[in-house]
Amino acid sequence: MIEFDHATRSYGRKVAVSDLTLAIPRGELFALLGPNGAGKTTTIKMLVGLLQPSRGAVRVCGYDMTRDPRLAHLHVGYVPDEPCLYDKLTGLEFLWFIADMFGMPRHLAAGRIEREIENFELADFADDLAESYSLGMKQRLVFAASLLHDPDVLVLDEPMVGLDPRSVRIVKDLLRARTSEGMTVFMSTHTLAMAEEMADRLGIMVRGRLRFLGTVPELREQMALETTSLEQLYLRITEPATDDVATRAESRDVR
Amino acid sequence: MSTARIHGATADTVRPLSIDAEARLFFRLRAQIAWATLRTMLATARLRLSLVVFLSAMFWGAVFGLFLEAFHFLDALHAEVIPLLFNAFFSSLMLMLLFSAGILLFSGLYCSTEARLLLTLPVRAEAIVAHAFQTALWFSCWGFVLLGSPMLVAYGVMRGANWPYYVVILPFMVSFAVIPATVGAILCLVLVLWMPKVRAHAPALALVAGCLVLVAIGWWMAGQGRVEAPSTTWFQQTLSRLSITEHKLLPSWWLSSGLLEAARAGHDPGGSLLESLSFLALLVSNAMVLQLLAAWIAKHVYRTGYSHVIAEAPTRRRRPLGWVDRMLSGSGSAAGRPLRLLLLKDLRIFRRDLSQWSQFVIFFGLLGLYFFNLRSFNYHTAYASVIGYLNLAVVGLILSTFTTRFVYPMISLEGRRFWILGLLPVGRDQIVWSKFLFSFVGGVVPCVGLVLLSDAMLGLPWHLVAQHEVCCLMLCMGLSGIAVGFGARMPELHEPSAAKISSGFGGTLNLVVSSLFILTTVLVAAIPVQISSLTAALGVPRLATRGFLSWAGGPQGLVASYVVIVALGIVATLVPLRLGLHAFRRLEP
Repeated sequence: MIEFDHATRSYGRKVAVSDLTLAIPRGELFALLGPNGAGKTTTIKMLVGLLQPSRGAVRVCGYDMTRDPRLAHLHVGYVPDEPCLYDKLTGLEFLWFIADMFGMPRHLAAGRIEREIENFELADFADDLAESYSLGMKQRLVFAASLLHDPDVLVLDEPMVGLDPRSVRIVKDLLRARTSEGMTVFMSTHTLAMAEEMADRLGIMVRGRLRFLGTVPELREQMALETTSLEQLYLRITEPATDDVATRAESRDVR
Repeated sequence: MSTARIHGATADTVRPLSIDAEARLFFRLRAQIAWATLRTMLATARLRLSLVVFLSAMFWGAVFGLFLEAFHFLDALHAEVIPLLFNAFFSSLMLMLLFSAGILLFSGLYCSTEARLLLTLPVRAEAIVAHAFQTALWFSCWGFVLLGSPMLVAYGVMRGANWPYYVVILPFMVSFAVIPATVGAILCLVLVLWMPKVRAHAPALALVAGCLVLVAIGWWMAGQGRVEAPSTTWFQQTLSRLSITEHKLLPSWWLSSGLLEAARAGHDPGGSLLESLSFLALLVSNAMVLQLLAAWIAKHVYRTGYSHVIAEAPTRRRRPLGWVDRMLSGSGSAAGRPLRLLLLKDLRIFRRDLSQWSQFVIFFGLLGLYFFNLRSFNYHTAYASVIGYLNLAVVGLILSTFTTRFVYPMISLEGRRFWILGLLPVGRDQIVWSKFLFSFVGGVVPCVGLVLLSDAMLGLPWHLVAQHEVCCLMLCMGLSGIAVGFGARMPELHEPSAAKISSGFGGTLNLVVSSLFILTTVLVAAIPVQISSLTAALGVPRLATRGFLSWAGGPQGLVASYVVIVALGIVATLVPLRLGLHAFRRLEP
């Protein structure tokens, strides 16, 4: 579903993401972790087509994000870290705009909009202008919009920021349900507990390179630590001196 | 692109839109946003909306009257000049449209959250650019229509044009405006893609280029020597300089020629509606070809250009003005240090915010250019004196728009950072005083300089220069006091947008009070001098010896005007500041 093929992105002289090769199959929930400035946001921007790789390619459902961005985008839902909405549209108008952008038939769009309004409990404010929404309300609306077309791939950048505990529960349940139906989720987060609870696999990026790729037990195995929490493992692997694990991780065939 | 190529779980529910469907969707989006904006304004900013409509109508009427008189005058004396004026007017507007559309488009396509949203949706790059272009065209066109339509209607009335003339005005103006705006769009797209080192500074570069072009034109128009204005020599020289705008490859010439033909059609043997429509066809066809070219370029470069812009390496900030910062933070007593640090913070925000300093540079730069060109005219002393007061009022009015737009919202904008200020050992009074000082010092330097330039170019005597400078000082002080005082009295701490804060009730009230203050101050300054000049010019000795006019036109009137001006300035500064300080001390964020 998602393929990074030796994807590299530089900002001037600084290499933000270096030679990223990664494949995420259908129905997997993948969590990308890493300290600030590790390259997570750059990776996500390449995945949703906002940034083009300097070298290599990014493919979604077989479509190259640089060469066929429109076809690739038909399969992607995206929830950014800061919700992008039109202040002067109501929530309902925004959902219709997104549904129309994806070319959904009217009767189908109406049903999906109703479904997502119910799922994310938007009914109370769906007819208000988005400029009056709180951050959490905006985030719920963006979640609803991103799921309208039942995307094959859902990309989440710090998805729980601004959400109250009830909304977090709703999102977690939805993600579980959708992944079991075959949707692939690519999530960047700093919330280790959520990554541990939800993710099928983890990727840990440090200074633009993927230092680890696998499950939490695999990470423990690699770090030779049996009972350590993900937090401790994460802190160990993101320390500047853990090049041994990094080298091992990079040398593996991550496909 | 067919749905057959789509595969995956979403294949049954989604399909890529046709280009027509994308255009319709964006049109509906703009209509929905415009309608919601209008409804919000009607509900929350009726005063502002009414003022905008009223002042626009007044402005339209005044420009119409002015042009009608001017056309009657010219038609009787120099009818051959009118086509030249049309060409000069529209060629200068063409240049302004090109730069304004380019800058607006850069902001809409590369810096907006809307672009970030649209680029993650299955929509064509050229459709996004077309959507941003139409928004930019709307914003850059309204001024063009507001300035151009009264002139064209006045010409039609003077010429006794038939109805087809009035019908074709709008199509002519729109098709003309599309051409420079599209050229601006193409330049914007290409500049961002091909000039990687400068793309992050594209708006600033466009701004500088625009100002340079205007300065060059102004310099060239100013000529080399001083001539008596209005004299035949001056008139001939001016006509000769303007003749460059009559080049037949310029869209402004097509527009002017087409409209002049339409005005003459039906009652003048030289005019032909068919000929006029052929110019319209020329404009429309060129606009369409340029649109196609822009769409082709957008399709190939927009996504790559956007990627380049957001991948711009954060360069290490050079500090050419670091010495100013060090001087401000390091000098003076320890007691005044918090105040200086607050000033330093606002100064840094100002100079790193392109939207603030660019408007400051454009408006004061253009004003400076106009004042500089006053040297070309040897005005009679009485005229020069009137023009000096008008220039003083213009400087004040422009400063008042800045204080309303940028100074009035300053206190409100601290809202989300209020906890920072609240935790610092800084009194609330100091926050208000720092804003006042920032506004006063920032305003007084360019304004005093501009008034001095205007008076020097007009050749005014020293006592008038001194009076203008005192007025200017009081205006800067009063306008800063009004903006900061009202801003502290009516803060909107939860509103992050300066534009929305300044366009609300408080901002509108600030603008109205500021305008009244300026007009009163300038009138009080002008009345004694003008009465004195008038009585001397008319040779009416009784006026000079009896009653109020005698008193006002004499030395005692001048002294009284000084007293009133200074008193007005102090009242305009202290009363709003006192109100603001009182309210701000009790404010619970």
